[in-house]
Amino acid sequence: MTERDDNQNQEEEKSSPASSLVEKIQSLGQSNVASAPDSNIHILPIIGQIEGHVQLPPKNKTTKYEHLIPQIIAIEQNPKIEGLIVLLNTVGGDVEAGLAISEMIASISKPTVSIVLGGGHSIGVPIAVSTDYSFIVGTATMTIHPIRLTGLVIGVPQTFEYLDKMQERVIKFVTGHSNITEEKFKELMFEKGNLTRDIGTNVVGTDAVQYGLINEIGGVKEALQKLNEMIEERRKNEENQVIQ
Amino acid sequence: MILYTPLSMDDIFPEDEREYEKHKWINVEGKMMKVYDHNDGTVELTQMISTNPNDYLDTRYMPGSRLKL
Repeated sequence: MTERDDNQNQEEEKSSPASSLVEKIQSLGQSNVASAPDSNIHILPIIGQIEGHVQLPPKNKTTKYEHLIPQIIAIEQNPKIEGLIVLLNTVGGDVEAGLAISEMIASISKPTVSIVLGGGHSIGVPIAVSTDYSFIVGTATMTIHPIRLTGLVIGVPQTFEYLDKMQERVIKFVTGHSNITEEKFKELMFEKGNLTRDIGTNVVGTDAVQYGLINEIGGVKEALQKLNEMIEERRKNEENQVIQ
Repeated sequence: MILYTPLSMDDIFPEDEREYEKHKWINVEGKMMKVYDHNDGTVELTQMISTNPNDYLDTRYMPGSRLKL
């Protein structure tokens, strides 16, 4: 190959993905260039606001549940994927969307671990506890507060009952998937004087572990170590089943 | 000007509808990407959605890189 050809190739590399794919097939006879083996651990970042039924303005950083849920199913189905890490840095958002994501993660048969980085506020709390094991970094915080409605609210007792039932679902999910007691969680949720002009508590990393909300303090290293342990255990169990 | 209000900024200064259209989701090699349309035949990659950590190491799809459609 001459030098001129080389330059041409480099130029073509920068062009659209479709033509670079054609170029790869032409030059190498295959569509995929050999790369590092696929990771057996996949990640699910939950960042910004959790977007539900209402589309937020483009300036907002959002995680859309219609994007996440198919990915969770793909992870469950793909035999090459053995574990999942959920990365959380969210301010919360839509309760229904958040609960849907939490339920999906909780029902995966593969080992799952979550890391709360920065913040796992509001509806981020059920997502953080939905995994088999949860980690929080020392500086991260989680805001626990009662749920609320935005937009047009019809002021009738039924609205309050609906809200109360929705809140009950969140409390049930969190207490069912973590070691925190219902009394303690409700106490944190309705605490006065911690948040300015609002009720609730901002729980810092170490406190979240102390209350039993999160399993352990830790970051990437601890999470990967734990996940690999769980994957190894699962493999052993599967082998035993085959022998029997 | 300082505006003290519990309302969100978008409620007071609504975003131009056309701004929504510039941000779109496209599918490139099976990876979902959020792009900003520059209206010159190229789009700027702003976000990629993938659960495979190796996809984030692909130098072709670094945030801010321009893609031709």
